Amino acid sequence: MTVKKILPVFLFLFLAVPLAWGEGKILVKDPWVRQNPPGTSVTAAYMVLENISGVDDELLSVDCGCSQEASLHVIEMKKGSDSMIMREVPSMAIPSGASIALSPGSHHVMLMGLSSDIKESVVLELKFRSGARISVTAPVLSPADASKRVQHHQHH
Amino acid sequence: MRRHYWLLTVLALIALGWVAIFGFLRADREQFHGDEFRRPAFDFSLTDHQNRKFSLSDHPGKVILLNFGFTNCPDVCPTTLGMLGEVLDLVGDERVMALFITVDPERDTVARLGSYIPFFHDRIVGLTGPEQSIKQVNDACGTFYSKEQEASEDDYLVIHSPAVYLIGAGGEMMLRYPKEKIHPKKMADDIKRLLL
Repeated sequence: MTVKKILPVFLFLFLAVPLAWGEGKILVKDPWVRQNPPGTSVTAAYMVLENISGVDDELLSVDCGCSQEASLHVIEMKKGSDSMIMREVPSMAIPSGASIALSPGSHHVMLMGLSSDIKESVVLELKFRSGARISVTAPVLSPADASKRVQHHQHH
Repeated sequence: MRRHYWLLTVLALIALGWVAIFGFLRADREQFHGDEFRRPAFDFSLTDHQNRKFSLSDHPGKVILLNFGFTNCPDVCPTTLGMLGEVLDLVGDERVMALFITVDPERDTVARLGSYIPFFHDRIVGLTGPEQSIKQVNDACGTFYSKEQEASEDDYLVIHSPAVYLIGAGGEMMLRYPKEKIHPKKMADDIKRLLL
């Protein structure tokens, strides 16, 4: 067998294997939760979602044992003004090959009705349209650490 | 042919010279990272998070960063407050202070601000007061706020400006940092320049 004959086989393997492997695959990178200030029972969770599955997917919901409710929010400027408003969305699209950043002042998971002040880390349960469920442990960051994290990402 | 090269080189050098001169002038004009936001000196009186009266005019000679928000705000307000705390640390000068004015005086009482504000920085001052006074400061900043009613009476959000305003040592409005320009190191640079 000559190399020329084997080549298409190799090509097929190279292309097909990652596709099969990546079925329903979403990478959750750098998850973190903002430490709630004393006296408040609301905060937000952030992360980067990368879709390497080869098919479009959607984040449907997030659950956290730490809060009564968790909802997906986007931040928008109110039309014709310099003011901002948060809006709840039913889902967040993560197109195939795309990387969606949930970051301060932008998309985020709002955690409402915290049962107590959160410390160290919390576990987030993510549900996707594809049926995938991913559980991640997100560190709880103080204001100073959160500020550094935000700037670190601004530079990228 | 040779002479053409000479001519081209000379022209290129002249062009470079112009670019350098204009670049220098431009850099000099745009010395601040925040947007120019010149407004005459103004004053307001509110109550701080330690239940003391706070008047802007009681703090002459200070560079003041002003920000609006509310304690039930999960994302934007704590992000900005964290950054303002970092600015204070970076500048490290008693002549700079940061103010957080609530746009939700109904829920943000002195006591609530008292437990909320020090979490971010011991030199940030939280302010509340009558609706009218808070509106007056918003007017001075050319912005507004409004309640966005949710499911129940005390479950609501407040639409407000995310910007940070810089007030100069003479009490005059000088700079405005829209959300995308809120960057601790750059803001600290601006303030250091003003305090020189």
